[in-house]
Amino acid sequence: MKKRFDKTYKIISNKEICAGYFELKVKSGNETAQACSPGKFFMIGVPDVFLRRPLSIHDTKSGVISFLYKTAGKGTEILSKMKTGEISMLGPLGNGYPLESSNPVIVAGGTGIASVHYLAVSLKKKGTLYYGARSKKDLLCLDKFKKAGWKIIVSTEDGSKGYKGFITGILEKKLNSDDFIYVCGPSPMIKAVIKIAKEKNTGGCVSLEEKMACGVGNCQGCAVKIKGQNKMTCKDGPVFNIEDVEI
Amino acid sequence: MKPDLRVNFAGIELKNPVLSASGTFGYGYELSDLISLGRLGGIVTKTITLEPRHGNPQPRIAETASGVLNTIGLQNIGVKAFVEEPLEKLHKTGAPVIVSVAGASVNEYVGAVKILNAQKGISGIELNLSCPNLKKKIICHDLPLMSGIIKSVKKISKVPVIAKLSPLVTDIAELSLVAQKSGADGVTLANTYPAMAIDVKTFKPKLSTVKGGLSGECVKPMSVRCVYDAYSVLRIPILGCGGIMNGEDAVEFMLAGASAVSVGTASLISPKNIIKVIDGIENILKEKKIKTAKEIIGSLKGGLRSRRE
Repeated sequence: MKKRFDKTYKIISNKEICAGYFELKVKSGNETAQACSPGKFFMIGVPDVFLRRPLSIHDTKSGVISFLYKTAGKGTEILSKMKTGEISMLGPLGNGYPLESSNPVIVAGGTGIASVHYLAVSLKKKGTLYYGARSKKDLLCLDKFKKAGWKIIVSTEDGSKGYKGFITGILEKKLNSDDFIYVCGPSPMIKAVIKIAKEKNTGGCVSLEEKMACGVGNCQGCAVKIKGQNKMTCKDGPVFNIEDVEI
Repeated sequence: MKPDLRVNFAGIELKNPVLSASGTFGYGYELSDLISLGRLGGIVTKTITLEPRHGNPQPRIAETASGVLNTIGLQNIGVKAFVEEPLEKLHKTGAPVIVSVAGASVNEYVGAVKILNAQKGISGIELNLSCPNLKKKIICHDLPLMSGIIKSVKKISKVPVIAKLSPLVTDIAELSLVAQKSGADGVTLANTYPAMAIDVKTFKPKLSTVKGGLSGECVKPMSVRCVYDAYSVLRIPILGCGGIMNGEDAVEFMLAGASAVSVGTASLISPKNIIKVIDGIENILKEKKIKTAKEIIGSLKGGLRSRRE
């Protein structure tokens, strides 16, 4: 088993990078940072809510781990106000993305961009990012992907940037069977991408999201159907083979 | 001086009164890289059934104020697979193992216990008679069935049998007495509280089965009350549980009458919390200059009814 830690860490910064989106940086030390890989996540302790919150790793660099999140409820609201001091975290947890790929294609929707950014900078071979968001102001990290050498195709639901509509509309036209797709985003998008991948006979993997309580497989709360079996998103995933996911 | 934390629960010698609660600690060995499992008073496994169960659909979890609703539906690998791998790994933890067992009928409980009987290294059986998340009604609400299960399992089990009861009854003391009369060596009080929550954005229930079981800090006062009520009538010991987050909570249960406690939802928040509970009890005893954990069992000052014989 890969190393995981249940510790408190120092918050370096927790800045709003654009309206409603925050980047939390913690001083993790090298041991924790080295246990990280793209697609893995931490359970993050937030005061005044009962359960920890799962956040996927956005980046790691020399003893620093960062998380990108959107304020979506009470937990993330409180988290966004934690600017200094200590934060308790359990992780890194779960199984991440496979990193061998000759024709990588990343498909991200909304805050799904958080975990695939770490993937994009970790993959040796660079490819194309298909990234859909609600509107121009919800598109994050484009400069980071560009800097990492990725080709970027974006869509917005309101047409304020890139193609108007869902990202799956363009993906359907461009995806090839020898591509390998990495998918992270809201479940309607994931469903559509799974269908496209099946039609084009394209392999890949999907990062899933479910409500979690423990993050380590003990409560069995975050079940998801994988090849007809109930598997745990936290322990067996969150990254699964695209052919195996039934949602 | 270091207080003596040892207690004897229903004939099982525990190095301290803190066990993991069923359904919150996996099969029991999974956290060995994060905490020293040998420090636990005991490990109660997740509930095992005769045949494997897939559990309930998503969503299975909903957070509430100071608590969690769940409807897992006893997803587990079944007793045959359990004795092959998890049990083997549990032996290595060094903590006494209590296997939680459930079923839909007397035969299912007996069938599972027969298979467990053939294994070494099991210190006790906890009969889960109170899961709120199955299609059938809670077993505790069918007294002849509950009684039949306890009697039949007692007849064959080689180890002490503990009945885990539902708090959703008119009189928990009466229910505990039925368990005692049926031959239970101890009772666990109490399982989760049937409850529900609704998402006002979608107007839908937050759980797939509409209702689920509520656990966590918010249930603690209700479970302490269950222990208090039952302690006044029982001869057999009580394993207290419900929202124990720290040593103070555990001591509260023991003062109300619990001989040992189990920590559940707190372990979901952080695996380390169960160790903090053990250390917390020790610290309280030290501060109070109390030499042994067992002397605080049921030692609530004032207000305690004399025990009925």
